[in-house]
Amino acid sequence: MRPGTLSGGGLALLLLAAAGPLHARAPYESTYEPRATEPLLIRGATVLTGTGARLDGADVRLADGRITAVGQSLAAEQARVVDGEGRWLTPGIIDVHSHLGNYPSPAIASTQDGNEMTGPNAAHVWAEHSVWPQDPQFPLALAGGVTTLQILPGSGNLFGGRGVTLKNIPARTVQEMKFPGAKQSLKMACGENPKRAYGSRNQPPATRMGNIAGFRAAWAKAQHALEKEAARAVNASADTDDGSAEAPDVPPERDLGVETLVGVLKGEILVHNHCYRADEMAWMIDVASEFGYEIKAFHHAVESYKIADRLAAEGICSAMWADWWGFKLEAFDGITENVALVDEAGACAIVHSDSATGIQHLNQEAAKAMAAARRQGMAVDEARAIAWITLNAARALEIDAETGSIEVGKAADLVLWSGNPFSVYSRADLVLIDGHPYYDRPAGVRPVTDFELEQTVNGGGE
Amino acid sequence: MKLAASAILLIALLQSPASAVGSEPGIAITGARVHTLAAAGTLEDATVLVRDGRIESVLTGEPVPDGYAVVEAAGKVVTPGLIESDSSLALVEIGGELTTVDSLVTEYPSGAAFDVRHALNPAAVALAVNRRDGVTAAVTAPTPGNDPFAGWGAVVRLGGDPLLVEPEVALFASIGAGSAVFTGGSRAAVIQRMRRGLQMAGTYRQNRYRPGPGDFSHQDLAALQRFRRSGAPLAVTVDRAGAILEALALAAEFDLDLIVIGGAEAWQVADRLAEAQVPVVVNVLANLPSSYDRLLARHDNAALLHEAGVTVTFTASDANNVRKIRQMAGNAVAHGMPWDAALAAITRAPGSVWGLPDGTGTLAEGAPADLVIWSGDPLEITEWAEAVMIGGAWQDMSSRQTRLFDRYRDPADPDRWYR
Repeated sequence: MRPGTLSGGGLALLLLAAAGPLHARAPYESTYEPRATEPLLIRGATVLTGTGARLDGADVRLADGRITAVGQSLAAEQARVVDGEGRWLTPGIIDVHSHLGNYPSPAIASTQDGNEMTGPNAAHVWAEHSVWPQDPQFPLALAGGVTTLQILPGSGNLFGGRGVTLKNIPARTVQEMKFPGAKQSLKMACGENPKRAYGSRNQPPATRMGNIAGFRAAWAKAQHALEKEAARAVNASADTDDGSAEAPDVPPERDLGVETLVGVLKGEILVHNHCYRADEMAWMIDVASEFGYEIKAFHHAVESYKIADRLAAEGICSAMWADWWGFKLEAFDGITENVALVDEAGACAIVHSDSATGIQHLNQEAAKAMAAARRQGMAVDEARAIAWITLNAARALEIDAETGSIEVGKAADLVLWSGNPFSVYSRADLVLIDGHPYYDRPAGVRPVTDFELEQTVNGGGE
Repeated sequence: MKLAASAILLIALLQSPASAVGSEPGIAITGARVHTLAAAGTLEDATVLVRDGRIESVLTGEPVPDGYAVVEAAGKVVTPGLIESDSSLALVEIGGELTTVDSLVTEYPSGAAFDVRHALNPAAVALAVNRRDGVTAAVTAPTPGNDPFAGWGAVVRLGGDPLLVEPEVALFASIGAGSAVFTGGSRAAVIQRMRRGLQMAGTYRQNRYRPGPGDFSHQDLAALQRFRRSGAPLAVTVDRAGAILEALALAAEFDLDLIVIGGAEAWQVADRLAEAQVPVVVNVLANLPSSYDRLLARHDNAALLHEAGVTVTFTASDANNVRKIRQMAGNAVAHGMPWDAALAAITRAPGSVWGLPDGTGTLAEGAPADLVIWSGDPLEITEWAEAVMIGGAWQDMSSRQTRLFDRYRDPADPDRWYR
């Protein structure tokens, strides 16, 4: 008998009974498997914990992919000792805004899969379905210390679709890269992009007020769907209570876009909102308030410094560049002190890349943001600034219980730098993900994607 | 002893612009480590004497002569002002707003006849923004429109009047998939069109030429003819190693000085470039195999070219953010380029590559007094420019961005927002 002839319930039973572990997981779930690791003791490094501390000459011990001890003069026990003297150890770098895999290199028409600009509401698409795991940009980002990254759809739509958080490991499938347990996100975009993309086709939205109306209409629909779902649940339990024999209604046909928005309203999906201007962020906060959802982070938030107090009060992160500005009018008020001003106001400050080049040196981007603040007399040190590319980023992705800082019990996602990572001259020597050394510069260990073989320098091309 | 930038500016405000020859007091910058980029090399605890807009001399172990306003800079580092080698500064205010983009034409005059000098905008906000980070001059160039020849670029300075330092520093062109779009799809057709244009320019006469469809216009041929007679270099944006060799052959055939811009795969033909004495303008951070012209891009391109004897300069490939050339230089060092060569790539080398007045990009005697006092290592991104001098005059270190910072230093204080 072919499974297709069974009802859904029968199919599930059959699979559980006969099909084995391959089908035991839910569809689309992560199939990530940590690699075997060797116990390591990184000895005598300058450790930036990500939680605000700097530990000079400290030891960090790892076993089974976790951080098992942080302190001075730790015993090696069974661990292999890595000499960290003169080197700096930080949490693995996390980029909350990347398009690796969905805008890969080479950037040719057949690979540009990041922006489903066929209608302003693309809440039904998932960025992960566009990610090409053989993108040569993944190993380059790894060489820059990036261990975790969020891949987002592009910003041409009001709702760009769902984003996904990946571990930056060499893999055959995207599922193997998916960060286990990380929530998906919903990419939303304010401002110039959606109104330009659709207004130029004489379709809505053509204006900023059209943008907001488009957001609200979609949320109203999702809210209604959620209310209907709740009402059905009430009716179903009422049916059971009064013992009536009437069969429950067939659920309504699924609407994949509405499902995404409902997922947000239920708190299962995180909102990451591309929004440059302070005034537009304030409107988006009102939209979120009207429909009862949270905004985790504003991205490309070049004007966050203008409303840093408000963002602190709302608990919304800002993902920012160090110095990129002026490429469009809504980016014209970008200033280099943005990140530090947001941080100083007590709001969550993140340095992001949105760039396959920038992602390779997020440490330098954080360094530039730190230096710009110091130049103005603001007190910012490395111990604080490292959080902009580690723990704060993890918070925005709600993976901070697992990664983003050097604390006992957390994943051994770590970067050992040749020197101070805020120096332009320092480079990542060793990059560990769950304790496995995917990148070891002195040893010549680095991943090579299939595409690169005989074609790029990393792949042996010449 | 440290001197804040504000104190330096105070001194500057006591001076009038260094214009009246011989009548102004000189300026003596004392106590710094000075990278002269000239025969004197790097000097510790040196004194830089500036008079009449030029470097008068750089001394060590001698008292400051009378008649100089002294700027104490112990613990600081002095270098020539930084020069960006391929930008669209003062041509593009906002890339996404086409009414502010003057680097690109897609209609007539689109090829060799296009000259950016007529659109340079002295009010560009980016001038002060980048000057504050130590950039004192920049090549500003056309973007290829619909011909492999893009037009003439110029050099601008980021302070002082006039904005234009040198017009027509090079004729810009490009070879690659991007420019092949203009010639029917093949890179071969790009080379053929460039060769044909250069050949025809040799014998072009207005009254004997009747262009057909797709032929060069009168304006473009006249411009190419002027180019061939001028001796100006041909600056070609080209990444693929094979295409770079084609550009070298073209330059040899027509006896042109060639400058390679981009050159992602230039490291592969470094010896040939060195032999032909062709410099390369490198974007150090552009290591992505982002097209089929640059699959062999690499981070240490600049280091490999330098090692082979090629003169290298840097570009941030931007309009508004040319200040990133300093980060480019630092990264070049991180990837194997000697520190002195990386500093030269954003000072002395662009001065000579782009044919700027003698001494530009150095602190040699008689050089234009374009210099920067740095808080420390000028290639280190955690240091910054404390004072910038262009043409002997200290520059205002504020910009539209510092004013925004001042307004929102305390974002909860409404009294600051509208001043």
